[in-house]
Amino acid sequence: MTHPTQAEARVALQAAERARQHVIDRLGLPMWYWWGLAACWIALGVLADLHAAWWLVAAATVAVGAGHSYVFQRLDAGRQQSGDVRVRADVAGGHTHLLVIGFLLALVGVTVGLALALAADGAGHPSIWASVFVAILLVLGGPRVMAWTRGRATERTTAR
Amino acid sequence: MTDRRRFDELIHPATRLSIVALMAAADWADFTFIRDQLGLSDSALSKQLATLEDAGYITIERPLSERRRRVRARLTPLGRDRYTGHVVALREIIAGAPSAG
Repeated sequence: MTHPTQAEARVALQAAERARQHVIDRLGLPMWYWWGLAACWIALGVLADLHAAWWLVAAATVAVGAGHSYVFQRLDAGRQQSGDVRVRADVAGGHTHLLVIGFLLALVGVTVGLALALAADGAGHPSIWASVFVAILLVLGGPRVMAWTRGRATERTTAR
Repeated sequence: MTDRRRFDELIHPATRLSIVALMAAADWADFTFIRDQLGLSDSALSKQLATLEDAGYITIERPLSERRRRVRARLTPLGRDRYTGHVVALREIIAGAPSAG
C-alpha cells in the first residue's frame, strides 16, 4: 500500500479527531447530579433555619458530604458519565476533579457569606434564601463548568 | 525502541482509524458506544474489532453488568503506541516530511 497524499492524510487526521471528540463529548456530570446536589443544598439551608439541634445539622452535613463523595467517585469525576465509556484521565485533564471540588467549595463560601449578610440585614430565613440562590447557581453553573472542561480537553488533545 | 513516526497500514483504513482514535481517548468503550458513535453495523464493527484484536492492538472484555452481558474494548499499549506513531506519520506527510514504515 502506498502512503497517502497530503490531502488524504489531512482527511484521515480529521476523521481521527472527530472520533476522539465523541469520547470527549461524554466528559461531564449528569443533570441529576446537579439537581440532587441542589436539593441537598436547600435541605441543609432549611435545617439550619429551623434551628435544628447542632448534632442533626452536623450529621446531615456529613451525610451529604459522604453521599456526594460516593456519587462523585462512581462517576469518576465526570469521566464515566454514561457507563458505556470511560474517558482517559490524560484526555479529561487532571484538573477536572479539582475544578469541581473548587467550584463546590466556592459555593459553600458564597452560601455562608450570603446567609450572614442576609441575617445582618434582618432578613427572615437567611440560610434558606442563601441556599436557594446557590442551588440555582449549581444547576445553571455546574454544566457550564463541565462544558468548559470539555473545551479544554478538545484544545489540549488537538494540540498534541 | 519503536519508531514514533511509523505509518501503520493496519490502522490506516478509515473505519479502523476512527475506531482506534476513539479508543485512544478512552480507558475502555462499550461495543454499543463505538457502534453508535461511528454509525457502524454490528457485523462491520465486529469484523474490525476482530482484526485489531488479532493484531494485538485491542483486547475484548465481557464483563457481566446488571445481569447483562456487555462487550467492552480496550486499546493495548501496543495499539496505543502504533496509533501514536501513525498520527505522527500522518502529520509528517501533511507537513511534507518523509515518514518511516
